[in-house]
Amino acid sequence: MQMLRSYRLLVTWQALRKKNYLPLMMAVQTLFSLGIVLGYPLLFPTLDRTSIYLIATGAPAISMISVGLVALPQTVGEQKTEGSLAYMRSLPVPRLAYLVADLTVWLAIVIPGVVLGVLVGAWRFGLDLQVSPLVVPAVLMVALTSTCVGYAIASLLPYMLTVIITQAIVVFVFMFSPLTFLPDKLPAWLEAIHRLLPVQAMGEVTRGTLAPNEFGLPLGAFVTLAFWCILGFGVTYAAMSRRG
Amino acid sequence: MLLEIGQLTKVYRTGTKANDGISLAIGEGEVFGLLGHNGAGKTTLVNQVVGLLRPTSGTIRIDGRDMVADPGLARRLCSFQAQAQVPIDGLTPRQAIDLLGQLRGSSRMEVELRRERLVEALDLGEWLDVDASRLSGGVKRLVAFAMAAVAPGRLVMLDEPTNDVDPVRRRLLWRQVRTLADHGAAVLLVTHNVIEAERSVDRLAILDEGRVIAEGTPAELKARLGAALRLELVLDPDAADVPVSPFGQSAVPVGNRLMVGVPMDAAGPAVAWAESLKCAGSVEEFTLGPATLEDVYVALVGGAEAVPAQAAEVFDANAA
Repeated sequence: MQMLRSYRLLVTWQALRKKNYLPLMMAVQTLFSLGIVLGYPLLFPTLDRTSIYLIATGAPAISMISVGLVALPQTVGEQKTEGSLAYMRSLPVPRLAYLVADLTVWLAIVIPGVVLGVLVGAWRFGLDLQVSPLVVPAVLMVALTSTCVGYAIASLLPYMLTVIITQAIVVFVFMFSPLTFLPDKLPAWLEAIHRLLPVQAMGEVTRGTLAPNEFGLPLGAFVTLAFWCILGFGVTYAAMSRRG
Repeated sequence: MLLEIGQLTKVYRTGTKANDGISLAIGEGEVFGLLGHNGAGKTTLVNQVVGLLRPTSGTIRIDGRDMVADPGLARRLCSFQAQAQVPIDGLTPRQAIDLLGQLRGSSRMEVELRRERLVEALDLGEWLDVDASRLSGGVKRLVAFAMAAVAPGRLVMLDEPTNDVDPVRRRLLWRQVRTLADHGAAVLLVTHNVIEAERSVDRLAILDEGRVIAEGTPAELKARLGAALRLELVLDPDAADVPVSPFGQSAVPVGNRLMVGVPMDAAGPAVAWAESLKCAGSVEEFTLGPATLEDVYVALVGGAEAVPAQAAEVFDANAA
């Protein structure tokens, strides 16, 4: 009962805190999607059908990752530095309620950008996406995993290191992750690494549910995501509960 | 006693000993001041009480219950105003105070009633529905205080509550601090504002380098000074020598001033001595007044300069 009451009040608090940034976040995410679906055809004037579908379905995955693995850890890192995270930790609420409430608000920030990304891609390439109903759990899973892992990064590392790591993640995700291309384009060693990391799985479940007719839906990707999601959440929860 | 801290020691992983065997006790209805320079270990102490830090050794008990073993209970029993600004940008003071009150377990109606009283008492009405991102630092701190006071725990810890607050509202805030104690809370007040603390606290402890170097009521600590009067000399920056006090009391340099302890029966000679220094050109001006808690504090902890040996002897920490 106390958990639910705390959760409700903390969601209100965190949503009000972020309401000024919400339009900006959505604008940035939309720009990500726009940049990808409008920019790739400029780089590669002749795109085959598979590439078009990869770009259109990769853009929303990238926008989710950009919030979860970049914007979120930088924001949480700032909160750690300025002491506001410590203040929230001093409140008489269960740690779990705080963490789940904050993740809820971040998910709410991520989701509109995904919808916008899909719409922009479908419009630009004139696609008729046969979206699977599984898209709902898939998108939630991707968004939750990226936010949990992002939270874990910010919880474990000092702020400056968080900023550097998240900048590296941007480059890694955009240039060297199989989101807008298939993994077989990568060197074998990088392909092997991506089989362990969550980014490839994020791309697979997103495109597999947005365009099931074009791509299969590997269940293994859900398992990989679940593993990373639980790991990220567990690490964050432990860091939140730890007394220095 | 409601809060009992025993031999509390905190050593950070860097090796810094922030608290070194601190023992304190605070009763219900009491406003207890914790004074000390920046880095004296004040915030480390309150962060351990509220369960943000784990003590290296020692005990923290509230109402006889072990807070080190149960930090969740500590957070429920303590209201806390942290030194950092509260994260309320995007919220109005009304929303922030109400949310905090409800998070502490009070009903919406109780919270609204109490919030109305606090807002009136702190004269915050004109900002009640303004986004906190547009509030000044001082008003934000008042809101943070109201958040700590709207549904107070049995222990209320306030870390530098008056920072940035204007002089008029400071008085209003101190009145509310006293009201909290009058309603039965134990109030632990962390500050380096000695002058305000003298007027507001029942008892206090002075921390230096993680240790309690003096504890008592303001009157007890001033009595330990041994000097009823304080002669403040503003030194001429061009003068070659610092005057040597003829009164056998403490003489502590603070910036370009010299604080000289003077016995009550030596007021006349003190003025004559200061006049002679002024005529000689080594002193620009002087004032003679009753000794204050600030004099005790300065003699104990010193300004930026070292405290003269004789002053350190006068304020032997174990003299009480």
